[in-house]
Amino acid sequence: MTSKNETILVVEDDTQIRNFICYALKQEGFPYTTASTAQNALSILVSNQIDLMLLDLGLPDFDGMEVIKKVREWSEMPIIVVSARDQDKEKAAALDSGADDYLTKPFSATELMARIRVALRHLYKIGVTKAQTVLSVGGLSIDLEKRIVSLDGAQLHVTPLEYHLLTLFLKNPGKVLTTQYILKEIYGVGYGTDTQALRALMAGLRRKIEPTPAKPRYILTEIGVGYRLVDE
Amino acid sequence: MAENTRDEQRSYVLTIILFIAAATGICWLFRFLRFPETNIVVVYILSVLLTARFTRGYAYGIAATVIATCMFNYFFTEPYFTLSVNDPTYFVTFGIMTVTSIITSALTTKVKQNALEAREKEAEASALYQLTSHLSDAADISDIAAITVKTISDILNCRAACLCFDENGQPEQSFIQQKNSNEQLRRNVDDKEALLLRMENLRTAYDVGAEFYDWPIYGRETMLGILRIPNEAAEQMSDAQLRLLRSMLESAALAMDSFRSAQERIKSREEIAQERYRSNLLRAISHDLRTPLSGIMGTSEMLMGMTDPKDSRYALAEGIYKDADWLHSLVENILGLTRLQDSRLVLNKQMEAVEEVIGVAVMAIGKRAPEREIMVHIPDTVMLVPMDAKLIDQVLVNLLDNAIKHTPPAGEISITVRENIEEGVAVFTVADRGTGIASVDISHIFQMFYTTHGKEADSQRGVGLGLAICESIIKAHVGTISAKNRKNGGAEFTFTLPLEAENHD
Repeated sequence: MTSKNETILVVEDDTQIRNFICYALKQEGFPYTTASTAQNALSILVSNQIDLMLLDLGLPDFDGMEVIKKVREWSEMPIIVVSARDQDKEKAAALDSGADDYLTKPFSATELMARIRVALRHLYKIGVTKAQTVLSVGGLSIDLEKRIVSLDGAQLHVTPLEYHLLTLFLKNPGKVLTTQYILKEIYGVGYGTDTQALRALMAGLRRKIEPTPAKPRYILTEIGVGYRLVDE
Repeated sequence: MAENTRDEQRSYVLTIILFIAAATGICWLFRFLRFPETNIVVVYILSVLLTARFTRGYAYGIAATVIATCMFNYFFTEPYFTLSVNDPTYFVTFGIMTVTSIITSALTTKVKQNALEAREKEAEASALYQLTSHLSDAADISDIAAITVKTISDILNCRAACLCFDENGQPEQSFIQQKNSNEQLRRNVDDKEALLLRMENLRTAYDVGAEFYDWPIYGRETMLGILRIPNEAAEQMSDAQLRLLRSMLESAALAMDSFRSAQERIKSREEIAQERYRSNLLRAISHDLRTPLSGIMGTSEMLMGMTDPKDSRYALAEGIYKDADWLHSLVENILGLTRLQDSRLVLNKQMEAVEEVIGVAVMAIGKRAPEREIMVHIPDTVMLVPMDAKLIDQVLVNLLDNAIKHTPPAGEISITVRENIEEGVAVFTVADRGTGIASVDISHIFQMFYTTHGKEADSQRGVGLGLAICESIIKAHVGTISAKNRKNGGAEFTFTLPLEAENHD
């Protein structure tokens, strides 16, 4: 058991799941605090130093979404949303309003820890990324200065849109980017609903970077939500 | 009807004879008493007036006038007992007498006719009023029909009947008929299709059948029923009765229409309430069952992680995990099916890349059964198919899950997608090298709660929902799904999805 410095706030109204998450966190050596209502969570956030929040979307008092919006008014802390399987719209909305990642119930401790690690790594990368000129994940790398994409050491020819898309993913490894967010970033405001164009663009890019597009190694599809670049 | 008229005529003729004879008698007495002639004239005029009063139509009045004048001439002017006169001034008397008589009789007849019409109208109005007030108490459509039948039977003095139509505009099996003044009976319709056809093609106000004259009862939108008047009664109907019948049919139609719309309002209110109840129930299931199951799964998995796999406690924790996992997928399936069977399910259809959906399904299976390799064959070109990706993903996962369950670890499992341009569909095939499907099962395999006749090992338990869900999802996409055995062993499930998004009007 290695002890860690980041304090995690667990906002979950179900006792069993809260216990399970807390136990998993304890195993990994994370200090944690718990809250079972949104009100409770907000007051803890105001008065304590919290580095990451695990947030259940279905809270008894008010919507978890409200918590995300409030927190984002003053803090950039990673927020991982926990939700039921069929809440795609809520998931996407949570991500769009500032959540960093989501976990679908039921999840395993391993999955939970992996997401927490990615989110925390992200936290420390803020600021660093800006200075970095070469971004890479696995064999895939991008040189922002020279505008070169390479795969397993060989230079790869990509279209300007594909380059733009890859940059977006490599700047956010491990993070789910919602379809809406990507569309806005790539095509600008006003093309928000043309998901078909994005599907086609993604398919073209996958054919260049994935040996088997149906079994992607780099960019994973999150159905109904968006895409995620694997984070080693 | 002819019979009636003749009786009437005879009685009117008798009336004339009676009054004129009486007048003549009285006048005879007056002459005997040496009353002045004026009195005799007045008595004859009175007799004409009375005749007009008690007969119908101008003809009798005029006839009475002529007879009275002749009588006066015959009996009371000189020379007596002839129709000739000595004093020519009598012609003036005859003339004035005739004109006076005609005018009096005409006036009397007119007054009488007006009174009669007024009475008829009043009777009509009161009958209609009675019908309407009774109809407002009616409990249902057949009650309305029964009341209408009773009222019309009373008025026309016949055994009227009414056949109601149901909500779909189809005739009911039986119609209500008045048996006697207090009883009604139900009779079966012999050939309702033919009757319906006749009524639908009707160009006149009513249809003449073997037993009944059939009057359609038209509502705001559809035909609500048929009112049946026995032929003999219908043939004798007067214009006034016809008019009354039409008004009554309108009242009945109005009552039926308003009853229907009230019923529809109640129904839609009930549906809204049910919908609310249903979504509450779904929410309850999703929250109250899934959340604790997630807790059980997470905790038991953690217990497994804390235990040495050789320890017997590991197997116990694993048992808990597996059962919870099974229960969890069952809950998901029931939820999915409930949602799918809701007729108002709106598919979130978008153009999706086939490789993405397959990629997600293969990855999900990879998490559950990491040792399995699933072969994927898809076209090199990008294939975009309109679908609800989340649901198609569920279909693929269910089919792959099924394949894994029935295929030994070394057996090959594959997904193939190809485009069938002629039929305009994308064809997805999930094939395995497993035990295949028993021939008795093939035709039932997509039925809900159907479990195969093969070995019923505990590890393979299922409630038979997975494939039923697949079928519901594919049907909702206007696609097809089928199962068959492969030539060299194993099963093959194929489903199609239309390549073109259907046009929404």
